[in-house]
Amino acid sequence: MEEKQKGKQKEKMVDRRTFIRTGVQVSIVVGLGGLTALVARRTGSGEYVWQLDPAKCTQCGRCATSCVKTPSAVKCVHVYAMCGYCDLCGGYFLPETKTLNTGAENQLCPTKAIKRTYIEDPFFEYTIDEELCIGCGKCVKGCGAFGNGSLQLQVRQNLCDNCNECSIARNCPSGAYSRIPAGRPYLLKGFGKEKLDIT
Amino acid sequence: MEVNSNKWAMKKKLVIALALVLLVAVIGYMVVDLFFTDGGRNDNPFDYGLKDLRKSDSALLAYREIQHFSTGLSEVYGVAVDAHDRIVVAGANGVEIYSPEGVRFMLFPFDDTAYCLTITPDADLLLGMVDHVMIMNAEGEIVSRWKPENEGSVLTSVATNGTDVFVADAGTRIVYHYDMDGKLLNRIGEADSLQGIPGLVIPSPYFDVGIGRDDELWVVNSGRHLFEAFRPDGTLISTWGQSSMDVEGFCGCCNPSHFTLLKDGSFVTSEKGVERVKIYDPTGTFQCLVAAPDQFDEGTRGLDLAVDSQERIVVLDPWRNQVRIFVRNEKSNEE
Repeated sequence: MEEKQKGKQKEKMVDRRTFIRTGVQVSIVVGLGGLTALVARRTGSGEYVWQLDPAKCTQCGRCATSCVKTPSAVKCVHVYAMCGYCDLCGGYFLPETKTLNTGAENQLCPTKAIKRTYIEDPFFEYTIDEELCIGCGKCVKGCGAFGNGSLQLQVRQNLCDNCNECSIARNCPSGAYSRIPAGRPYLLKGFGKEKLDIT
Repeated sequence: MEVNSNKWAMKKKLVIALALVLLVAVIGYMVVDLFFTDGGRNDNPFDYGLKDLRKSDSALLAYREIQHFSTGLSEVYGVAVDAHDRIVVAGANGVEIYSPEGVRFMLFPFDDTAYCLTITPDADLLLGMVDHVMIMNAEGEIVSRWKPENEGSVLTSVATNGTDVFVADAGTRIVYHYDMDGKLLNRIGEADSLQGIPGLVIPSPYFDVGIGRDDELWVVNSGRHLFEAFRPDGTLISTWGQSSMDVEGFCGCCNPSHFTLLKDGSFVTSEKGVERVKIYDPTGTFQCLVAAPDQFDEGTRGLDLAVDSQERIVVLDPWRNQVRIFVRNEKSNEE
């Protein structure tokens, strides 16, 4: 009788190797499940963030003045794929500039947040210092008018408080603000499907 | 005593009346300030000042618009005028041909989009499509077509003298020189320090070419704000141009966007950013304005140009989807 019971107990006992293997399998399943749930939550209909549509933006300056944060959570973003790397950049230089150098008196940006770097004759790269950028959109206006429109305003999600009622959205005269899924938090203009973005 | 008290009463009434008037004025001011002004909320402290740049001296305007008509295409990109002054418009899904008065009498439909066109001396249409060049005869039949060598080509302008075809490619920043059958003869505009050719700088898809009076090829080096003349073999002959926001120069990152030539070799140019159409003499000296910025919608770009035998200037306005015709003012003619 005792031998029978011992045999049953042995059958019920799990050896260490099996225990570890099972544990790892369970951890993987739980981890993957959690990750899937997290991704589904971020990309699903549950979570939304504020973003502005550059195609509707008129660069009125209110992104800089209406945000509850100082400086604004709206920043200039550079879409390098669209940039012409121009020497005479409409987003960097004041319109009446005679000499194309980095002198403060020549720069359009009120906070000097754009850095101009020489690449090769006659191309220059322009990068945005987001700590200095106040989201006024002055450079965006200049780039859009005279260049390809590669400088665009966007709400930087790492800075935005995602208020229930966005004060910039309330004051935006062109209705460029909307809530979009947090999984795709940016709306940048590009060349799109058309090869030639003339319109 | 009675007289004094009457005077006092009169003064009192006057003061009360004046006080009432003052009160009404103050209340009126407050009402206007509260309800009829925005308190400067609409002022943009970061305004770029484009409106100031769009102002021009009316004394420089030597042309007037006499006619405009809408096209039947959903998007328009190129315009040309044939030997009979018929206006040909190219764009999305077709080519339309209009009489000089603006009456459409022909449409050649196709599935593709034509971004530029010119008319050959044989009255064929030479079209720059999305990824190929096409020659179409006066009946709308395709005579020949060929693809540029480069996959990244963006064809923005075509020109021909009847034996050679020049195709401006903003994608590779080169002008391709073909014969009429599409055989590549040479490339024009590549940087070559030994030949003194600085190279073409084309930051945006606006890159125009045209044939001059002496069969020279004029190329817009828009990133440098220059016109450059080449022989068909690629030799650089001359250049002219000036970067400036002022009316005498070319503004922005890359201008002029389009041009055409008058009979005397003068250049008619169009710009984007500050939308304007101007005339320069054959040496590149500014002459006059054909159309001022306030005659276009803000943001208009891609103003293609053509000239008819009467030297009327035909402007294609893609923003309004219109063909607009300008003639020289009589006073300017006398001068």
